[in-house]
Amino acid sequence: MSPMPIQPKPHSALFIAGHGSTENPDSSVPYFDHASEIRNRNLFAEVHCIFWKEEPSFREAWYLTDCEEIYVVPDFISEGYFTQEVIPRELELQGDTTVVRGKTFHYCAPVGVHPSMTQLLLRRAREVAPGIDPRETTLIIVGHGTGLNANSTKAIKNQCALLREQSEVPYAAVIDAYMEEQPFIADWHQMAQTAHVVVVPFFIADGLHSFQDIPVLLGIESEVGAAASQREVFRHNPHHLHGRNLFYSSAIGTDRMMADVILDQIHDFDTSHTPS
Amino acid sequence: MTLLQWLEHLLSQGFHRIGQIEILHGASRPAGAVDHFCVLCHEDDRETVVAALGQPEDFMIVADPQQARDISTYSEANEYRFTKGQLNLRRQWVMHLASIEELLAAIEGFYPASFGLWVAQQRGTLQVENLRVKLGRQTGMYRFAGSISDAGAQQLVQDVCGPAHQCAKKILWQLDQDTPLDDSDASRFDGIGSGLTEPNAIPLLCREACNHFVAECRKISKREFEQKSTA
Repeated sequence: MSPMPIQPKPHSALFIAGHGSTENPDSSVPYFDHASEIRNRNLFAEVHCIFWKEEPSFREAWYLTDCEEIYVVPDFISEGYFTQEVIPRELELQGDTTVVRGKTFHYCAPVGVHPSMTQLLLRRAREVAPGIDPRETTLIIVGHGTGLNANSTKAIKNQCALLREQSEVPYAAVIDAYMEEQPFIADWHQMAQTAHVVVVPFFIADGLHSFQDIPVLLGIESEVGAAASQREVFRHNPHHLHGRNLFYSSAIGTDRMMADVILDQIHDFDTSHTPS
Repeated sequence: MTLLQWLEHLLSQGFHRIGQIEILHGASRPAGAVDHFCVLCHEDDRETVVAALGQPEDFMIVADPQQARDISTYSEANEYRFTKGQLNLRRQWVMHLASIEELLAAIEGFYPASFGLWVAQQRGTLQVENLRVKLGRQTGMYRFAGSISDAGAQQLVQDVCGPAHQCAKKILWQLDQDTPLDDSDASRFDGIGSGLTEPNAIPLLCREACNHFVAECRKISKREFEQKSTA
C-alpha cells in the first residue's frame, strides 16, 4: 500500500481523536502508536491524542496547542454517534471547517471509512494465516453492530464489498459479522463453508471486544478473560473448532500502517476543500 | 507568549513542581546530569536522585518524554490511573530530558493539558464550565445524568473528587452560576498539595467535571429516581 503524499504542515497541529477507556489502558495504545509514527515524520508542528474517556479530553483539546490551524482525524472505525455527534459537540465544531475562538479546526472523516483500509485488511488477513490459500478460506470482518445506528455497520459492509472485488487472489468468501446484530459472529461456523476461516476485528484497539468478548463468541475462550496485554489469544493460531482452522487476528487499528490512513484522510480533506 | 515561552519564563521564576513531578533544572540538576536540560523524578525521590548524581542504580532511567505515559499508566499497586491527577504516581524512575520542548512534552504526558490550562488561566482565556451546563449537553445513555439533585451532586464532589479520592485537581467549576460547591476538602483543594505555592509549583486545574464524574452522576440520578419511585 503506498500512502498518498501529504505536504508538511509545520504550522499546524494534528489531533487524533479516540474513545479511550476508564477500565482498560490497552484500548488507547494504538492512538499513541499512530501519533508517534506521524510525529516521527515531522509533518506537523504538534501531534496530540484527545479522548472521550481519558485525558486530555476533547473539551480540553483547544488548550493543548498554540497552533492556529488544527486537523482533527477521528481514529474511529465508522461514522456514527461519536464522529457525528460527540466529537463535533465537544470540540464546538459546526461543519468541515470551524473557527473556534481564533483557532481553525478542520474536521476529517474517520479512518475506518477510507478506501485504503481495504489493503490494510487484506494484509492483516494474509499475515495472520501465512501460507493458507485464500481460495480455500472465508474472511470474516467482525464489528460491534448496534440496532441504534445503521451507520455503525456501513463501513464494514463497504469494506467487505471492496474486499470481494479486489483482483488479487480472491478469498472463497468475504463476510461481515457482528457482536450485537445479525449476522452474529457467534454463528461463524454456520456461515463459513471452507476449511480455513480468518477473522479480523474491525476495531481500533485490542480492548474488551476484540480481546475478550469476540474470542468467547468464536469459542476460542470459554469465558471473558483479562485485558489484552495479559493474554496470548493471538499466539495460538490456528484454533481447531467445528472441524475448521480458525485464524484470529488482533484489531485492525493496531496496525502500524494506520498512521498512513490518518494521513490519507487529511490528504482527502485538503483535496476536497481546495478552492477551485 | 507561546506555551514554550511561558514554560521558559516559569522556570526562570523557580518553577520546579507540577503534580507529583519534581523538575531538576538549572543549578538544581544533579551533578551527573548537567549535560541535560533537566531531570524529572517523583517528588519523593528527589533527594535520592540528587544524591546518586541523577542515576540511582535501582531506578528506571529514561530519556524519551513520550515514556511519561508509560510511567503514569499504572500505580505502584498496578491500578490503572485513568485520571492522571491521582496521587499514586509510581516512584523509582528518572527522566533525563534534552530540551524545553521535551520538558513540555513530558509534562503533557504525565498531566495531559495541564500546562495549557494553566497558561490559559494566566492569559484570561480559560473557559470554565459549570456542572449543570456540562450535564445539559450529555446525550445517549448519559442524558439521564442531568437529573441528579443539587444535594446529590454536592455529595458526589465530596465522594469522588479531591486528593482523598480519585483526583488531585483544583476544581474551578460550580453547580451553576449561582451555586458554588459546598465547602469541603475536595472543593478547597488547591491543585498543588505539597505546600508549595506559585510559581514554584503550578496547580492541576479542573475546568469542568470529567467524564468519570458524569458517569457517577448518572448512577446517583438513577438511584434517586428509584428511591422516589419506591417512596
